[in-house]
Amino acid sequence: MNRIRALRKPKEESYIDYSLIFIILFLLAFGLVMVYSTSSYEANLDLGDSSYYFRHQLVSTVIGLAAMLIVSYIPYRFIAKFAFPIYVAAAVLILLVIPFGKRINGAKRWIFIMGMSVQPAEVAKFAVIVFSAVLIIKLRKNLLTPRGYLTALAFPTLYSLLVYGITKNLSSAIIIMGITVVMLFISTPGYKKYIIAALSLVAVVAVAVIIIVNADHSSGMNYRFERVLAWIDPNAHASGKGFQTLQALYAIGSGGIFGKGLGESMQKMGFIPEAQNDMIFSVICEELGLFGAIAVMLMFLLLIWRLMIIANNSPDMLGALLVIGVMGHISIQVILNIAVVTNTIPNTGITLPFISYGGSAVIIQLAEVGLALNVARNIGR
Amino acid sequence: MKQNARVKQQKFTIGMKKKLVVLFVIVLLAFVGLGVRLILITKNNGEEYEKQVLSQQQYDSVTIPFRRGEIKDSNGTVLAYSEKVYNVILDAKLLLRSDKYVDPTVNALVKYFKLDGGEIRNYLSEHPTSQYYTLAKKLEYDQVAPFQDLMTPGTDTYDENIQGIWFEDNYIRKYPNGTLACDVIGFTTGDNIGTYGLEEYYNDTLSGTLGREYGYLDDDSTLERTTIPATDGDSIVTTIDGNLQTIVEKYIKQYNDEHANNARQGNGANNIGCIMMNVNNGDILAMASYPNYDPNNPRDTSKLIGMPMVDAKGKLVPGESDFDSGVYITQEMLDGFSDEETYRQLNALWKNYCISDTYEPGSVSKPFTTATGLETGAITGNEHYNCNGSLEIGDWKIHCHNTYGDGDVSVERAIEISCNVALMHEAQAIGKEKFTKFQKQFGFGLKTNIDLAGEARTENIVKKPEEMTPTDLATNAFGQNFDCDMIEMITAFSSLINGGYYYEPHMVKKIVSSSGSTIKNIEPRVLRQTISPSTSEKIIQYCNKVVAGDEGTGKTARPAGYMIGGKTGTAQTLPRGNRQYVVSFMGYAPADHPEIAIYVVVDRPNVALQDDAKNATWIVKRVLTEALPYLNYQMTEEINEKEQAELDEIRANMVTPTQPAGEGEAAEGEEATGENTEGEKAEGTSEEGKAGEKKEDAEKQKKDKKEEKEDDTNIWESFDVDETTGYYIDPNTGNLVNPENGNEMGGDDLPDFTGAPTAEASEGKSSE
Repeated sequence: MNRIRALRKPKEESYIDYSLIFIILFLLAFGLVMVYSTSSYEANLDLGDSSYYFRHQLVSTVIGLAAMLIVSYIPYRFIAKFAFPIYVAAAVLILLVIPFGKRINGAKRWIFIMGMSVQPAEVAKFAVIVFSAVLIIKLRKNLLTPRGYLTALAFPTLYSLLVYGITKNLSSAIIIMGITVVMLFISTPGYKKYIIAALSLVAVVAVAVIIIVNADHSSGMNYRFERVLAWIDPNAHASGKGFQTLQALYAIGSGGIFGKGLGESMQKMGFIPEAQNDMIFSVICEELGLFGAIAVMLMFLLLIWRLMIIANNSPDMLGALLVIGVMGHISIQVILNIAVVTNTIPNTGITLPFISYGGSAVIIQLAEVGLALNVARNIGR
Repeated sequence: MKQNARVKQQKFTIGMKKKLVVLFVIVLLAFVGLGVRLILITKNNGEEYEKQVLSQQQYDSVTIPFRRGEIKDSNGTVLAYSEKVYNVILDAKLLLRSDKYVDPTVNALVKYFKLDGGEIRNYLSEHPTSQYYTLAKKLEYDQVAPFQDLMTPGTDTYDENIQGIWFEDNYIRKYPNGTLACDVIGFTTGDNIGTYGLEEYYNDTLSGTLGREYGYLDDDSTLERTTIPATDGDSIVTTIDGNLQTIVEKYIKQYNDEHANNARQGNGANNIGCIMMNVNNGDILAMASYPNYDPNNPRDTSKLIGMPMVDAKGKLVPGESDFDSGVYITQEMLDGFSDEETYRQLNALWKNYCISDTYEPGSVSKPFTTATGLETGAITGNEHYNCNGSLEIGDWKIHCHNTYGDGDVSVERAIEISCNVALMHEAQAIGKEKFTKFQKQFGFGLKTNIDLAGEARTENIVKKPEEMTPTDLATNAFGQNFDCDMIEMITAFSSLINGGYYYEPHMVKKIVSSSGSTIKNIEPRVLRQTISPSTSEKIIQYCNKVVAGDEGTGKTARPAGYMIGGKTGTAQTLPRGNRQYVVSFMGYAPADHPEIAIYVVVDRPNVALQDDAKNATWIVKRVLTEALPYLNYQMTEEINEKEQAELDEIRANMVTPTQPAGEGEAAEGEEATGENTEGEKAEGTSEEGKAGEKKEDAEKQKKDKKEEKEDDTNIWESFDVDETTGYYIDPNTGNLVNPENGNEMGGDDLPDFTGAPTAEASEGKSSE
């Protein structure tokens, strides 16, 4: 209804996508509840404050909402002008991890700015959306040439390499590349090369997995490879890399159709490591059952659908590409997160957008939503 | 600007829109795929994973004990109950949250519970994450109450720095009357499991269900608890009358004390058992045996001193000579025992002699033989037998008690004087088929199914008709060469004197829930008719003679002022000729209309000459003297001076709280005179008159009889008298002769068939 009215009086009223805002607010509120539910037991034991994670997440969420609001009011064409500085700034942040990085849980991924921990990889995801969109617009017809296409891929690839090289964060590197590929997929005609690329990727991965599985145990299995083995047979690695996955599966399985009830999870009590983080979806399954889990997935689907609508109605290519970038980001992250939790793919640290605990992530994701809302405001103008 | 304009121009084409929709569809498919995967995990592995989740949970949970049901006597007196006690539990993790808690808490523990502060601190430093450590056990409420105040906000002494301590409830079993009815009640082990007696038999009834408390730390680090409460056990009300039980135990104890260390070192007898039973419903009114123990402290070995020692199979350890009744435990032996040996002796102490031990009953089974004869028509009751001291059966010459012969013996006199020869004749008339059939009918060889744990199995120690030799039949007729236990005997005897109704004996009459409502009433159960009422009447008539008759063997059992009936038993044990006897008296009151049966067995009394039923009648007489007035039976007999003196002596030691009937009568009399009502007075006198007449008649009859028998002196009374024992000495054999019945000491030559069919019997026997 809103949209129809907005189209009738395009000049006077700017379009606001309330559905999108509602979905986001719902996911945020639900996320906060789940963060509290999953973390209170461990937080109390470890930190003596059951609401520790909840409060931190609440602060981040409020900051994120503010960022969303601000970004939605700055015209995206204006933001696009600063695409290159944003790209450079994000790259610098990643580089700053080397001297100033803070090591948490054995991984050096965070830097502190004014007392707040920031994860540069998250910032890079925002930067890559803006920069790739602008780059694709600039390349235009050149995009159809291999040279132009590779140029469009080169900049995000640099990010990915930086993120993986410096923070050892493979999942963020994959997401950054994924966002770019999604944007390029939309902006270039034809499916053939993407299908070929996808199939060859699958083939390469399959071959790699077969090699890893058949490799001798003593032949220098590294960190990454054990994860692959744990993915194939989590029970065999129950005490090692498979532990988290297995506990997540226990949680999902024990939840049943309607779950044990909110706050009733047993697995969160020290069995699923970082339950409020990557594995929050498994606790959702345990407490709210299949019903709750599928409801959450439908919510994300609705969000992605709204983003698609905004992109399709965007007044220009730049706006559309920005929204597609956001849509790609959220889609990839949700799919990969749930795939990890259900042991469909090997375990990599991917959080569930808007729900998992993580300050930088929720702020950046809300800023991205702000970008989408910004584009939506210009619908019909 | 130029660039900007160009950007503006660029539109999102239809082709791109289509691709975007394709992308959305791909995402949608990915979501569907993941959704399916979620469903499959739940469907295929749900149950398995759920179990996995539950199994790896380490609940901070504790079980909540239940209160075990009470055991009460028929008057409601508590014989056993469970009392709540408290264990002090330390939660080190909770206490160590802050250093400021440690000192006040440890100091308070030292102050209130006299614990070792250093030890607690050591424990805390070694096990900082421990959440359950028992500091003290089984403290009573008074001991923990002051400490609980320290922990309860709002009390004067509340100290918020006392942390990490909580109290766990528990129950301990208490037996307020100590040794009273210990063999009937049994006791409980530490984990609330009943052993022996009612505690074992009714363990499931008395036990409740454990509760459970699931704990977790809530927001304020206090232990939040979800509780499934415990269900308390049901209580049982026994048929035992605490007062009768006290009377019985008092006299058993007195007998023991008077005879302990008499002829030999050790208790007054190897075992003394007494059962009192209501013959008309199978209620056990009292059941006691000696030696006894205190169920509050069943492992007190001091109770073992004086007991005959048993070996690994529970068999009596034989003494050096055949004439020794056993090896009696002394403190020195106790000190030398291994744990296993001590435990063996304790087991012998804990078991209930009245139901667990088998022995040859002896002459108390004569009424059964006579009843069988009458019931089967093999004898009419008018038979006369000639007893010349022995009867030759098979290759054996089986003696009577009176080896010099009883002369002409009627069926009635056979019971009265306990003539073996007459009974052997009766048994021969009955025949082994009918004899064994009736043995089974009376329940010999069958369990009575009394509701007590540990009833002996007697199936194999009673002869089957196909294996019964003529000698077996003859000896079984007077209660030798087959075994029974006390409860079997008195239950069967009750049926002989109550008109033939065999009631299942039982100890519990009611089961009551913890809230006090009756769950189950246990009604008397007639299992079968053993004999006809007319036969029963004859048996009563014969058994009355045992006590009332001039030649009666059980005269000494009669309490002053009452007439009772019964039968004595003096049974030889194996090996024959060992001068070891099990003496007994089985009786009933009142004589003309039996209501109460009593059976006393003294197993190898601690006297020089054991073959004397007076060891048993002594107890019966005293128990009945005190019990009958308590049970509101009026005196029917005249009391002579000697009896009065004896009665006064017994009354001086009475424990029964209720007024004895004799006194009651006196009081009634006073009342009557005090009120001066003529009618009543007249009534009283007329009654007196009637009673007087009756007594006169009785005396007259007695006198007549005496006159008749004036010249009828016993042969052995012409022998020399042994000064130490008062027995006569047989000039031919040099053996001592019992002045009462002419039984010759050492004249035990009953067939014992050692090795042959009594192999089982000897086994059963040695389980004593």
